[in-house]
Amino acid sequence: MSTPLIIAIVIGIILVLMYNSLVSKKNQVENIFASIDTQLKKRYDLIPNLVASVGKYMEHEKSILQEVTKLRAEANKPNISDEEKIHLDAKVTSALGSIMVAVENYPELKANENVMHLQRSLNEVEEQISAARRAYNQAVTDYNNAIEMIPTNFMASAMSYTRKEVFEIPDTQRQNVNVKELFNS
Amino acid sequence: MKSISELTDFYYKKLHPVLEELDKNRERVKKRVITIGIIYTLIAALLFFSLLDYMNIEFIVFSLVGYVALGGILYRFLISDYRDEFKEKVIRPLIEEIDSSFHYIPDLHVDVEYFNRSYLFPSPDRYSGNDLVKGKIDGVDLTFSDLHAEKEHRDSKGRRSYSTIFKGLFIISDFHKNFKGKTVVLPDTAQSTFGDLIGSFLQANNFSRSGDLVKMDSPEFEKEFVVYGSDQIEARYILTHTLMEKILHYRKHSGHPVYVSFRGRNIYMAIEYNKDLFEPSIFNSLLEYKIAMEYIKTLHLSIGIVEELKLNQKIWSKHG
Repeated sequence: MSTPLIIAIVIGIILVLMYNSLVSKKNQVENIFASIDTQLKKRYDLIPNLVASVGKYMEHEKSILQEVTKLRAEANKPNISDEEKIHLDAKVTSALGSIMVAVENYPELKANENVMHLQRSLNEVEEQISAARRAYNQAVTDYNNAIEMIPTNFMASAMSYTRKEVFEIPDTQRQNVNVKELFNS
Repeated sequence: MKSISELTDFYYKKLHPVLEELDKNRERVKKRVITIGIIYTLIAALLFFSLLDYMNIEFIVFSLVGYVALGGILYRFLISDYRDEFKEKVIRPLIEEIDSSFHYIPDLHVDVEYFNRSYLFPSPDRYSGNDLVKGKIDGVDLTFSDLHAEKEHRDSKGRRSYSTIFKGLFIISDFHKNFKGKTVVLPDTAQSTFGDLIGSFLQANNFSRSGDLVKMDSPEFEKEFVVYGSDQIEARYILTHTLMEKILHYRKHSGHPVYVSFRGRNIYMAIEYNKDLFEPSIFNSLLEYKIAMEYIKTLHLSIGIVEELKLNQKIWSKHG
């Protein structure tokens, strides 16, 4: 085999490997985003129940409850972009957090079996979402690194891959807010 | 759960009369071991030198190995009564003091099935252990024992030899979350040996591990451990920032390499000690502070895992 042919084959193999690695990174990001979507949907399904259970008692927090309902409606609209989903998620997380803190001021609610159950389910979903967000951010970081680093950046720009946005993880979740404290205090 | 200082108090105050008695016993056993050891060595040396002319190098090596092995068996035989008494009179009361519901069975160990199910180590060819402790703490099932797992090797002449896969403490406990896949946390030897670049390449291409490499978003944790999992999201669902911190803390606390895995409904932990734990040494006094502390600390560490990981959290959807 002639030397130029060998060089051409090696370059060909390198290009294929680079291409495949970029595609697999992009798919990993999409795959994990789909899981986030499922978890977000689970959370949105819990919201009407939560609002109905606590609404009767929470006179002062009516505006937060309305806000959550509104955000849920927005999130359920068809064809919203991934970026919008990411932004809505941050808002819902903070609004739900405020509701959970407010529950503490109502002894009737803290003793209510239904609310307790909802809190447990919500806590579970929040944990799942938080895990999915962290997995997503790692996948996006790997993907962003690949499209910015030499030599894969040339291939990425040829494939017109662009940077993706990461989820901002709320500070409270970084410290893994201890929900147990909310229950016992 | 009782603190280390409470247990130390118990050891010295409540167990003191027993310890004094036992220590006299130890002195007697020690004298016997030394005397018999000297006689045994003299006989062996006499035999060795009288046969020296007829020996080739292989036979010399063989007789040396035989001398050590036979010596070990002889030693174990000589101290066996004292060892049993020590376990009944020191280790058992200590375990029961921590929680009266604990069962202590000195001669049993964690079943090999659990060892294999943990996915932490390759399955062993020779497996032994002792000092099994079983019980519930704060409603959480906990089992642990000393273990020694080995792999068999054969050389070209068909001779068998064994190498250690794991030696140390093996703990199984309930975990408070539901999960389907498996997540394995191992000490990060690749990155600490080969540096970040080559180390992470080796980690990502570790074919001996099933599952993918899971990069965690805690630099401190990443430095100490490497995580493999069947599901990227589930691994992070299990390993929250709090849990990572706790495992790190546990690692520092134990001072030994720590292996953790999550599978089925359990958490499995293996702490490498490279020695038999809870075994008496006849050459050290039972009244020595350092020796007593080691037993207490190891017990405290094994049982303390439930508290450390807050496995009894009832706020999760998983019940029972």
